Amino acid sequence: MKKKNTKLIIGIVIIVAAVVYLIASSTLSQSQYFLTVEELQSNQAEYVGKNVRMSGAVLGDTIKYDPQTLELTFQVAQIPGDHRVIEQMGGMSVVLAQAAHDPTLPKMTVHYVGPRPDLLKDEAQAIITGSLDENGIFQASELLLKCPSKYQSELPEQSK
Amino acid sequence: MFFAGLIPSYLALLAFLVAIVLTVLAIWRKQSELPKLVSLLAKFAFILQTLGVISLVVMLVLEDYTNYYVASVVNPAMPGILKVTALWGGQAGSLFFWSWLVSLIVFIALSSKRKLIDAWSFLVLAANVSFFLGLSLFGDNPFMRIWALSDGSLVSSLFAPEAGAVVHKLSIGMGLNPLLRHPGMIIHPPMLYLGYALFFVPFAVGISTLIQKRNDDQLIHDTRTWVVLGWVFLTGGIVLGSWWSYDVLGWGGYWAWDPVETASLLPWLTATALLHSFLLERKRGIFKRFNFVLVLLTYLLVIFSIFVTRSGLVNSVHAFSESTISIPLLVFMCFWLLTSIVLLVWRWKALGGEFEISSPFNREAFFLYTNIILLALTAVCLWGLIFPLINGALTGNQVVLDRGYYDRTTTPLFLLLVFLLAICPLIGWNAVQLKKIGKKLWIPLGLSVLTVVILFLSRLRIAMALAGIFLVALGLFTLLTLTIRDGIAVGFSKFWAFLWKQRNRYGAWLVHAGILLIALGIVGMETLSTNIQGTMLPHEKMPLMGYEIEFNSISETFTNPEYMTAQSDTTLYKDGKEIARLYPAQHIYPERNQFISIPAVDSNLGRDVYLLLVGYNVDVPYITLRMSVNPLINFMWLGGIFLVLGGLCVATTSSHVREDEELVQEEPLEV
Repeated sequence: MKKKNTKLIIGIVIIVAAVVYLIASSTLSQSQYFLTVEELQSNQAEYVGKNVRMSGAVLGDTIKYDPQTLELTFQVAQIPGDHRVIEQMGGMSVVLAQAAHDPTLPKMTVHYVGPRPDLLKDEAQAIITGSLDENGIFQASELLLKCPSKYQSELPEQSK
Repeated sequence: MFFAGLIPSYLALLAFLVAIVLTVLAIWRKQSELPKLVSLLAKFAFILQTLGVISLVVMLVLEDYTNYYVASVVNPAMPGILKVTALWGGQAGSLFFWSWLVSLIVFIALSSKRKLIDAWSFLVLAANVSFFLGLSLFGDNPFMRIWALSDGSLVSSLFAPEAGAVVHKLSIGMGLNPLLRHPGMIIHPPMLYLGYALFFVPFAVGISTLIQKRNDDQLIHDTRTWVVLGWVFLTGGIVLGSWWSYDVLGWGGYWAWDPVETASLLPWLTATALLHSFLLERKRGIFKRFNFVLVLLTYLLVIFSIFVTRSGLVNSVHAFSESTISIPLLVFMCFWLLTSIVLLVWRWKALGGEFEISSPFNREAFFLYTNIILLALTAVCLWGLIFPLINGALTGNQVVLDRGYYDRTTTPLFLLLVFLLAICPLIGWNAVQLKKIGKKLWIPLGLSVLTVVILFLSRLRIAMALAGIFLVALGLFTLLTLTIRDGIAVGFSKFWAFLWKQRNRYGAWLVHAGILLIALGIVGMETLSTNIQGTMLPHEKMPLMGYEIEFNSISETFTNPEYMTAQSDTTLYKDGKEIARLYPAQHIYPERNQFISIPAVDSNLGRDVYLLLVGYNVDVPYITLRMSVNPLINFMWLGGIFLVLGGLCVATTSSHVREDEELVQEEPLEV
């Protein structure tokens, strides 16, 4: 009996080792940098061609979409990366609204081919996966707009 | 309505706090039973809390736009049912609703005939209700009113923020996000929350058992039904969420490894492991420590999942939602984590059930392997969520793990799990000989080989798909042939009565069949699904996989006050024959500067043809359409129904199943 249990324990150890290896190797090969517009632009040379993720505030006026070719371009403006900074500035919706109307902030043009996401609009937060090309345009492979389960609309403007 | 909601809610919190004090006094006097008075007080508190919830619902339905929460989730154009469900459509309301659900579960536990809740376990439960109710009332109160200050600006506050401020009524509210206006969204959150809350009772009983060193099997007998029901609701909630995302989020994705999704999977994985190890301990008296670890872990992961959903911290530093409640939640979670670890370490020796697996090739061993894989999956998913946080804290670099990570790590583990699941019913409780297994195996094996050969001959040549279908078929045919053998042994006239009597076992098999069907759906979506996009003028056609879609017309209508409907009219052909008229559409909300896609689907058990209106022009006219053919996807939803039904069968059985009962019907199978 004892012997069989030993075998079993050896088996478990092997399984655990395999899982740890799986996690470690996948973490190394699959992790992506998550950057702000500013971080990406200040180290442009370093990131060209690399798969990264970027977050920014969508500028509604810059959205151009051609349904024939499914080509979508728009600009995003810098928003801070640090959760605490965002909180200090009054929360995400405030930060997004400010970023969308502040011409001094760094901006990045995003290019994407595919259906236009339902939530792509002014002052939305875009989380974009893709890579930077030589012209400084972000070629997106995946667009994620503010998640609906956490959607909370702001108080409407004073309406009489 | 403001006071009718606010006052009972605060009183409920007060009542729970008083109940906690009284319980502590009882424990001080070495009284382990819960005093009657405390139980009554807690039930009364629940009723008060219910008044608070009812008031909020009334405010939502009557559109009380002096209330900040109401104004942010309701508007006049929404149908009545959606106004009710707006209760959990935003952060403040859903937190309030959640604290009420936890209170409801405590109410039910206190009302159960068996003396389930003693002083210690009540203390744990009451601490949880008070925490979440307090978090709701002091962190994100849904009763906040809108005030106009003397300078004309608007702020939200419970009471006048300054002298001279007056309550301000908005003329109209924002309304619920269109994406949340979907039947799946109406029942998905309450089901998920109820599943979460049900796990609180086993946790409380577990903590109480550990503290009092009650070294008996009470934990399983008392809490099994709670765990099974929690599992059923959690499963239903997750599957509904997946269906909602397939049906609404346009691209037809059913699972995206979004952090919130992944977090809801964590307690599901450990609860599934718990159900297996409960069964083992009931039968063999082993795995006692495993049980305790899993009961505590499941609760902790529920709290973690709530933390991920509500704090906004995990999704990224580039946070999704602002939140003032993340720090209290984190402290609360760490408190229970530490308590659990300390108690387990303290009582580890006393818990020692014998750990002896007689053979690496019997059902006990297979249960152990299953649980190891489930825990490995838990570890993988948990790591995916916390690694970005740890890495960010250590290096300052913001790094994320996305789909690629989860695909790579979970695929081999899920495949192993399906393999174990497929052959498990063939393995007996005692050590088995390969010969005996072989006897039972050849029919299902033959049938699944035949299935794959037929598919291969009908020109399905994708190796991954064939392998996946083979595994699933092997599992399903095994379950089917074993059930039929049981039927032959018992006699078909008595078969239904027999199935119902043994629903513990066949319920579990139904669940296993459900998992296999979901696996089949995933195989279909991941290996066989195809899509095409294109722009079409009237009467042009677009082909895909033997189907053709023809564009007839496009129109805009304004029947709804909130949105404009752009609806296209298309005809679907299969091999040149018309099989359906489909109307993919968009709802355009001009005020929100947002639109949502309403896909059109032609559905049968074999496949979905899924159409998405991507763009259009009424003047030219043209439409841009995305068409997907998704084979086998509907098996996923069918599997979900199997899971819930099977789980309910198991939930209705008593936990005192005798071992010989199981052996009686295992005999005829060992021919």
